[in-house]
Amino acid sequence: MKTLLNKQQLKSAGIRVAGTLAIPVIVIAVLFIACAAGGKNMFPYDISFTNFIRGILTLMLTTIALSINLGSGRFDFSLGAMALLSSVIGAQIVMQTGGGAWVMLLFCLLSGAVLGAASGGLYVLLKLPPIITSLGVTLLYEGIAFAITGGANMRLLGTDTDSITNSVAIMIVFIVLFLAIIYFVFDNTKFGYNYKALKEGQKVSVNTGIKEIPNAIVCYTITGVLMSVVGFLNNTFTGTIQVSGLNFGSIGIMFGAFLPMFIGGFIGRFSNDKLGYFLAAVTMTLFSMMYSAFSLTNSVQSIISAVLLVLFLIYLSNEKLIKDIFTGKHLRDYLKRKKTPAGAEG
Amino acid sequence: MENVETAPEMPKKGMTAEKKHKIKQLLINLTPVIGLVLLLVLYLIVGGIRGINFASGFEAIINQSIVVAIVATGAIFIFTLGSFDISLGASTLVSACAGALVYMSTQNLFLMFLVCVLTAVACSLFSSVLGSVFNLPVFVTTVAMMSVLMAVAELLITSRGGNQLVASGAGAADSLWLKILLLAIFAAICIFVFSFMKTGRRQKFLGGNPVCAKLTGISLKKYAIIAFALTGLGVGIAAFLTVLRAPTVTSGTAGDVGMSIFIAIVFGGMPISGGPRSRIYAAIIGSFTITFLNQVLFFMLLGVAGADGISQIVRAIFFLAMVYLASINYRTKNLPR
Repeated sequence: MKTLLNKQQLKSAGIRVAGTLAIPVIVIAVLFIACAAGGKNMFPYDISFTNFIRGILTLMLTTIALSINLGSGRFDFSLGAMALLSSVIGAQIVMQTGGGAWVMLLFCLLSGAVLGAASGGLYVLLKLPPIITSLGVTLLYEGIAFAITGGANMRLLGTDTDSITNSVAIMIVFIVLFLAIIYFVFDNTKFGYNYKALKEGQKVSVNTGIKEIPNAIVCYTITGVLMSVVGFLNNTFTGTIQVSGLNFGSIGIMFGAFLPMFIGGFIGRFSNDKLGYFLAAVTMTLFSMMYSAFSLTNSVQSIISAVLLVLFLIYLSNEKLIKDIFTGKHLRDYLKRKKTPAGAEG
Repeated sequence: MENVETAPEMPKKGMTAEKKHKIKQLLINLTPVIGLVLLLVLYLIVGGIRGINFASGFEAIINQSIVVAIVATGAIFIFTLGSFDISLGASTLVSACAGALVYMSTQNLFLMFLVCVLTAVACSLFSSVLGSVFNLPVFVTTVAMMSVLMAVAELLITSRGGNQLVASGAGAADSLWLKILLLAIFAAICIFVFSFMKTGRRQKFLGGNPVCAKLTGISLKKYAIIAFALTGLGVGIAAFLTVLRAPTVTSGTAGDVGMSIFIAIVFGGMPISGGPRSRIYAAIIGSFTITFLNQVLFFMLLGVAGADGISQIVRAIFFLAMVYLASINYRTKNLPR
């Protein structure tokens, strides 16, 4: 009995490991083979690995931020606007006080939390569909960022704000730290259990006494914090905060996170969705490195990414049918139906 | 005896309450129209103080509103189903590029119009058929389509070796009356389909209660395809008018159309969740409201530093306030999703 149990456990663990690693391993293998065949190097410069790690961190955080509210049916257009405004506030303070990267990060985090909480507060106060509230919030935050800077891009020259974004070690620590915190908060706390309950059945959860309003505000606050880090990393890397994007110019940042979110959700079935988001971010960042290695234009990159997204969604939406086709069950069922005369079952 | 006396009063009280409710409901329903009228009055006051030429001012307002009004009127069909398409701005750009390329080769306006419409309908149908055949969530499909269409537009724009397509000569046909005529024809078609045909009724039913609609035999796929086709028609007309207005097509052309239609539709009093409360005229009211608001703010903030940002902050507050007022009767106990 013990041996049987161990075998079952081993089989189950094997499936879980294979399911978790299948997509990243296959993609990494394909990309490295493609690069080897084309005589290209995905990491040609010293800075390439730093860019790779930064790409993983920013994409992972954006994906988690997107999934927190979208998973609960709350569509949030304001992710980019939160990243933008928190960076503008952080940068303004640093430029006035003369602080460095850590000071800017601290103020970005604080302002991100406030902006996220304000966005969530507005949602629960107005009780409007989240997509509408997020449209209003996006306009509001973009407008505030523009008004603060007078519409001019902010240059971070003369500060050492890029010391974090150029340090591989710090960014790896950030990846581990944020993954651990998000895992702990959403999978090991009362808030996380309530979040999952509300996600799966809002009405029943509320009727059983779960308080939805504080839960939603905390979700938005966490989202704000995560996006503030993304804004900080992106802007300190380029050394410039581009504030000219009024009229929803900031929403583009979220679209790149859809594919990793779906991949992460798929991987999460075998292990944990947060781990899935990390592995999906690794996979997609490697794709970006491959694009650079082959010097593909932005247009070609966009088309490839969009096709991948659609193909993956086609797989997710028709998983059972595809499995049946590959195992021959679909054909067997078809032949069985054909052999059985019409109305024979009756 | 008391009972006899109070009995006739009961229905009277009930009627009063009902009447009050009806008046309140009417006022709430009219909020978008009241908002538009108030902004028009404000525009006249502020414009009068600034001494603007109202004839050219109104012409500018129509020019700025018409493209969003046409695209959003068509998009109402998609929104009614409880879905939305984020690729409409990109679709307008691709159609404008295709139309401009044809005009550059043939100098034929009719061909340009035809190509604009066909391209836009094809783009829309591709999204909806893809979603319908493979059971994909429409919104994510349109996110992917947006990326593809922006990339295609970039390829079309650079196909002639530059960073822009110049349909020289097309601008000569740009006339206010042509725009008004096209908007009127398209709006009439949409109103007819939406309000007087079973297509519109069934789409509202599908948006309001998709499960029940499906159980009564209404096909979501069929009506989604119709909705996307009608939206494509609107996008094509808007692309044609865009090229007439600005014959130089760049990657920034129609850049804000995609998101402006969301704002216009909501400003016009249409619930984003679709269903039976959908209103076909919401898009026209909403797009003109936005333009009047922009113009009023422009005149009021003339010379102020960061005026565009402040203007956007005011627009955001106005937007949220309008939607809040228009939906005050439809509050749910739980947070909406």
